[in-house]
Amino acid sequence: MNHAMISARHVTKRFTEPVDFTVLDDVSIDVQEGEFVVLVGPSGSGKTTLMYALSTLDTVYDGTIRIDDTDIRSLSKNQLASFRNTMIGFVFQFHYLLPDFTVLDNVMLPAQRLGLWTDEEMEDRAMQKLALLGVADQATKKSNRLSGGQQQRVAIARALMNDPKILFGDEPTGNLDTKNTEVVLDILQELKSEFKQTILMVTHDTAFANRADRIISIRDGRIV
Amino acid sequence: MNSLFSKRPLLRIAWVHLFSKKRQTIVAMLGVMFGVTVFIFQAGLLTGLQNYFIEKTVNTTAHVHIYNEVRTARPHVVTRYIDTADRWVVVRNQKPRDEERKVKNGNQIIGLIEKDPRVEGVAPFLGLQGIFRFGMSQQAGTLAGVDIIRENTLFKVQENLIDGDMLRMETMPNGIILGSGLADKLGASVGNSIIVISSKGVALDMKVIAISKTGITLQDNTRAYISLRNAQRLLQQSGSYITDINVRLRDVNQAQAIAQEYQSKYGYRAEDWKAANANVFGIFRIQNLTVTFVIISILVVSGFGIFNILMTIIYEKMPDIAILKAMGYRDADISRIFLIESLAIGSTGGLLGLLLGFITSKIVGMVPLNIQGFVSVQYLIINFNPLFYLAAFAFALVSTTVAGYFPARKAARFDPVEIIRSR
Repeated sequence: MNHAMISARHVTKRFTEPVDFTVLDDVSIDVQEGEFVVLVGPSGSGKTTLMYALSTLDTVYDGTIRIDDTDIRSLSKNQLASFRNTMIGFVFQFHYLLPDFTVLDNVMLPAQRLGLWTDEEMEDRAMQKLALLGVADQATKKSNRLSGGQQQRVAIARALMNDPKILFGDEPTGNLDTKNTEVVLDILQELKSEFKQTILMVTHDTAFANRADRIISIRDGRIV
Repeated sequence: MNSLFSKRPLLRIAWVHLFSKKRQTIVAMLGVMFGVTVFIFQAGLLTGLQNYFIEKTVNTTAHVHIYNEVRTARPHVVTRYIDTADRWVVVRNQKPRDEERKVKNGNQIIGLIEKDPRVEGVAPFLGLQGIFRFGMSQQAGTLAGVDIIRENTLFKVQENLIDGDMLRMETMPNGIILGSGLADKLGASVGNSIIVISSKGVALDMKVIAISKTGITLQDNTRAYISLRNAQRLLQQSGSYITDINVRLRDVNQAQAIAQEYQSKYGYRAEDWKAANANVFGIFRIQNLTVTFVIISILVVSGFGIFNILMTIIYEKMPDIAILKAMGYRDADISRIFLIESLAIGSTGGLLGLLLGFITSKIVGMVPLNIQGFVSVQYLIINFNPLFYLAAFAFALVSTTVAGYFPARKAARFDPVEIIRSR
């Protein structure tokens, strides 16, 4: 069970515009399967940049990143898209639900790209995810009719739709009040403990950080 | 609806985008619709009139026209003996030679051409200028001396008569058939006697036996048919004198080749109907070019409409694009969304345009208009060639696809990280 889900080696990223600036400076980390890891650090520390690199959205850096033993940069653009589709789920600070789509339709979007399941199967799975997040009763509503906390829960359900190996998050509770933050954190912990979900989140919320298995602290592009 | 979209989330996203921008979408569709309508209507109207004219021309001018080309401007004999390369030669007041317009052995040539299996009919022709006088009214015009039976096989003389009977030309030695415009100007009708005076000063009493209306304004206003014999008398010529031979072919498309063949065979100028009407076809070409430009500019404008709405949607829906890419949708998927949108606008607008173009053409074709132009028509003649409808629709699809391509490519190239981090 000691299998590194994410393994980053000597990841360095520099900007030359507008000024020479090293965002990530020789970062090497491992995230084990089933681990709940949180990246913390002050703003501008490079924690978000690292998360985007680890989550395959950003591929411009030196060094190597492997996810589930696949070198990310050996994949073409389209392969990378498929890789994200099957392996990775995202939760951002903003929910990014498509307005004018129902909650159910939003959750099914990743599965429709995947194209593995029939309509009924997709709907069943989506309903299961929504039930897990406690928003199954909202399934037929338009996504922009929901409260902020509900929307973020739907966004997590969507991220889980294709059963990703890793769930990435960028300040997923940043827009939520204390009560909803608690709900989301409970859900994340439940995912970790009951489904052995590998989770990597960026946050500067200490309450959030304290729930994680491990806290990785970043300052000036280095792990401290 | 739900099952149609479930397997095709891109289609559904495109649908939602367009629906969320109803007004702009409709305006863009109207742009395409208008372009296609104008295309259908203009093309139908223009080619309708042109085809009508061509049909009339094919029926009223000879497919091949053989005549003696008289060159009035000739080099002076002096220039044959004096080198003009380094000096001026001026000969003042040189008059045209009295050249015969006559086609010699005309009847023999007609006999030979008649045996040609590609030929439907041959008719001799003697053309001259004349003055028509009826009581106090007087009109100048042209006289066509013809063998009326042969002429009828070529030009459907009988069909074009609005009064009287062509065959009376055979029984009445001084019969004349007047063009309708000419008859109106003279105030003459069937049964009246009129006087015809030629440039040689010969005057003949003639009796109007019929009125002809071909629909070609120039002919109807100036031309009269008389018998070949009377035309020869007006020119004080013998019975074998003719100036032109008109030929009608079984296949009008062979006219050019056959004209060339006859020209070298008989030694007279032979002109096919297209060459004879070259000026008109030139005008047609300019008309077509003008209309093409109008149609293209309308479609370009509607293309900009589509470009505009797509750009608006793309900037508004950047977050959607970012999350779709993050969840594994490919660049091609993203650009497909916007191509679907532009195609939806293009095809809907195009179909509506076809319908509106058809209706407009039908309505305009029903409005009575008495036009006296090149040709006189009572109704606008509109060509409903299905090829136009196909071409207009294809054109609409192509222009909207081009208009949609650039926004679609732009959307596909968005970097999701940039969009997400900038929020």
